[in-house]
Amino acid sequence: MEHVLALFTVFAHPQLLLLVGLGTFAGVYVGAIPGLSVTMAVSILISFTFSWDVLPAISLMIGIYMGGVYGGSRTAILLNIPGAPSAIATALDGYPMAQRGEAGEAIGVTTVMSFFGGFIGILVLALLAPFVADFALTFQPRDYMLLAVLGILLVGSLSSGSLVKGIFSGALGIGIGAVGMDPLTFTERFTFDIPLLQQGISFIAVMIGMFGVSEALMQLHHVEKAAVRQKISRIVPSFGTIKKHLPLSIQTSSLGVLIGALPGTGGDIAALMAYDHAKRVTKNPSRKFGDGAIEGLVAPETANNAAVGGAFIPMMTLGIPGDAVTAIMIGALFIHGLNPGPMLMVEQPNMFWFIVGALIMANFFMLIFGLTGIKLFTKIVEMPRSVLIPLILLLSIVGAYAVNNSITDVYWMLGFGIFGYFMRHYGYPLGPVILGVILSRLLDDNWRRAIISEREDLGRFFYGIVTSPLSLVLLVAVILIFVSQTPLWTMFRKKDTQPK
Amino acid sequence: MTESEHHHDSSRDGSSDATPGGAAGKRRPGELVFTIILVIFSAVLLWNAYGIAGFEALSSPGAIPMGTAAVMLISAAMVLNQTLRKPRAEDETMLQDIVPPLVIVLALFLVAYGVLLEPLGFLPTSLLFLLASIKILSKRSWGFTITVSVGSLLGIYLVFRIVFTVLMPTGIIPEAEILQAIRNLFAGGA
Amino acid sequence: MKRFIIGAVSALAVSATAAFAADYPSKEIQGIIQWGAGGSTDTVMRAVTPHAEDVLGGTVVMQNMTGGVGAIALNKVAGMKADGYTLLMGAENPLIYKIMGLGKKDYSDFVPVDILARGTAILVANNNAPFDDYAGMLQYIKDHPGELRIGSTGPGGLPSVVTAMMEAVEGDLDVISVPYDGDGPALTALQGGAIDVMPAVLGASIEAIKAGNMKPLAVMDTEKNEFLPDVPAITSFNEGYNTYLPWGPFFGVFVKKGTPDDVVAKLSAAYKEAANQDDFKTLMHNRGFTLMNISGQEAEDFLTKWQQGTSWLLQDAGLTKSSPEEFGIKRPGE
Repeated sequence: MEHVLALFTVFAHPQLLLLVGLGTFAGVYVGAIPGLSVTMAVSILISFTFSWDVLPAISLMIGIYMGGVYGGSRTAILLNIPGAPSAIATALDGYPMAQRGEAGEAIGVTTVMSFFGGFIGILVLALLAPFVADFALTFQPRDYMLLAVLGILLVGSLSSGSLVKGIFSGALGIGIGAVGMDPLTFTERFTFDIPLLQQGISFIAVMIGMFGVSEALMQLHHVEKAAVRQKISRIVPSFGTIKKHLPLSIQTSSLGVLIGALPGTGGDIAALMAYDHAKRVTKNPSRKFGDGAIEGLVAPETANNAAVGGAFIPMMTLGIPGDAVTAIMIGALFIHGLNPGPMLMVEQPNMFWFIVGALIMANFFMLIFGLTGIKLFTKIVEMPRSVLIPLILLLSIVGAYAVNNSITDVYWMLGFGIFGYFMRHYGYPLGPVILGVILSRLLDDNWRRAIISEREDLGRFFYGIVTSPLSLVLLVAVILIFVSQTPLWTMFRKKDTQPK
Repeated sequence: MTESEHHHDSSRDGSSDATPGGAAGKRRPGELVFTIILVIFSAVLLWNAYGIAGFEALSSPGAIPMGTAAVMLISAAMVLNQTLRKPRAEDETMLQDIVPPLVIVLALFLVAYGVLLEPLGFLPTSLLFLLASIKILSKRSWGFTITVSVGSLLGIYLVFRIVFTVLMPTGIIPEAEILQAIRNLFAGGA
Repeated sequence: MKRFIIGAVSALAVSATAAFAADYPSKEIQGIIQWGAGGSTDTVMRAVTPHAEDVLGGTVVMQNMTGGVGAIALNKVAGMKADGYTLLMGAENPLIYKIMGLGKKDYSDFVPVDILARGTAILVANNNAPFDDYAGMLQYIKDHPGELRIGSTGPGGLPSVVTAMMEAVEGDLDVISVPYDGDGPALTALQGGAIDVMPAVLGASIEAIKAGNMKPLAVMDTEKNEFLPDVPAITSFNEGYNTYLPWGPFFGVFVKKGTPDDVVAKLSAAYKEAANQDDFKTLMHNRGFTLMNISGQEAEDFLTKWQQGTSWLLQDAGLTKSSPEEFGIKRPGE
């Protein structure tokens, strides 16, 4: 067990410690700027750290990763523009809080909860990695499909106004996700023979347009209105607050680790599912969900940071990336002469424990950088709208371009921005659109894989579901959630409570 | 200005994505047209999805798109049905509550940006955009406008182009040559 | 009028810095990587390019441009000036774009700067599969028609070529082909039992094989592989494969056709030296790739041969959208 001592490598070398800190600091900003992603930053770092030793290179990358996942919440809270897809759910209650002048408190809760989620993720990675990895491998295409269906049912909790409009938004999102050349068969879908449509629509472009541009245009209605003054007295949440949300945050963190460990799903889906979970289990939220409920911040932020530890689980034990960032890290390990794969844990257990140590350190740095400098950040919201709006628009454009170096993405981003603006005016929720785009491929690809595997036989498909314990559990969850959302059930429950 | 007399109900703009806008029980200006467009759009998509592979197989690449487009069409039709029954919101007009002049102007700026980006390049287009929009929105002096525009553009350029090597369209400015010259300068000095 | 002024100004800017090989590179070079961050192509290019930069004495800014099986990146580079300031960093796929209906351009519109390395394919199976070698698999397919699930990565991908090869040699195989969007996800699914057999690149599966997480059936080559000396070559089961092998994916750096010869020569020399560095060799070795490091006519010949063999294999398997004949791709040996 002497390998466990490698855990402390990072603490023993000031240089490594500094790099983790630097990475985390940079990560917070990379994460906060929409369009700049951790994936991008880490892949640039591969060339940048080419001539370095492997430990410093990995330290820097881990810092960026941890900081970046957290940083996405900043702009989500302050400007209603999620810096990264995993912060979409954070905007739902974080932005209303900032609108009430509670941006400081929102950021404080977010930071502490991200730290907590990150910690749970690392704990599971350190103690249960081989076990979780084996479990993640047992997910079959039909299970991923059921998971996607489960995700799509979140439309119900993401549309507070009209449910029909929410369903339309969700379906639109799935449709947007299908545009372009189908990666499995190279069939063109929804392209109308237009070359611009063949490469599909970048989902980050849709997200930036729908959230960033539509929000900026919306704010034009009251350019002159003074910005909301932010109270920044209460930043660190009280111990009571943390204790109160402990059960919820343990649940959502566990959800985050598992979803993060599944190859093919990541922090974005984890955060949305956690939000939905919070809405279901919280009897008395601090405010109505969507109006600035603390629970609406706790759930997604614990889940997406827990997913970081989760993503490392299949990477370290099997050499299978848990998400895009760990995929690049595997490449980095190769370049530095290591062979990431199932044998890494056996041949070089030191590496595993070093990464765990670096993650722990990055998590602490995230807490420190998260809780300091909030004053400066909240100043962004207090900037005059006449300057803020043009800057948001320009950042949205650059961000959309940066995703794939494509002008087409800029056009899509602007188009969806204007479309989203009208959708908001007429009461269509935008969250389900993004949810649909995120889940589109997961649903479509895995449905087709599952039904092809059963030779197009629906009978065999359902037989497969009911005979597999995992699929059965997922199916029951889908049915329960679906039933609990239908009007009949709500009526039944009302009747049930009335006579008393 | 008649605008100041008009009372705009900002709750109808929606406060966040969890609480979208819209007027409960009333039909806002343009809502009917928007809904009709959605219905037509959904129908076109359904037809297109059918064209991908027809009813060839459960696993065909057209299966999920067809299901999705069908859901879109049904839900859009239901929304249309609801919208038709709602009375018009008499207190609102298109130009005051849905697309006030400022929104139209900024939207046009964005379109112009999209058109000019490729031929003119990132730096000049963005500078023009920032100058024009900040000037119009803030109504402050040119000095203020120019300082803020140039400063923030430089910041964005530094982060995206230099640090993250995102190669924005260069257009009329030979950026790569200039950057190389600067690099050579440093390399020569060192 | 405006357009004229813009045109005139940009023309001036260009002529002032026109590429002369003597001072090439006089500005930074763009490297467009056809595949996403973290993939094999990405790793190879990001590992070799820093060495090439040192030799060139310039900067190569690398970007990933994904979509359309790499066609988006290829068309982008084809649309730039042929001045050597835009490099295409790609894999084998473009050579079958035309016949698969994925695009109108391929490497014939480019000049190879350096073909860096090639990979070997291998057939791997889930540990619980009821057979242990290639012959056993064939017997199983015969006894249980329509039950074996083979992973694929879409038409034209490595698995589809290998499967086409198998059908060309062994006759029709009644199997279920389950599509994945890359060999990484497919190999994951293999370990989880969602598919039974997967034709994959050696490098992507080697670590999992060594750890005993999947079992190798046969190396798709004419001889055993140095990395897995216990795994038989497919030709030891059926001589018929000799017609098509050796075959494998490859990685290369390209510039648009029409780039000045001296610029190409300078780039080729830089990449040749870069690919000769020990750490790059080690990386290729660890990932199970065979270093090629060829350029000029040798590279052109390699490309032509690869394209002919693969195109007609796919054509004979009925997987193509249009015949190789339409594009003047000759049958191998003609």
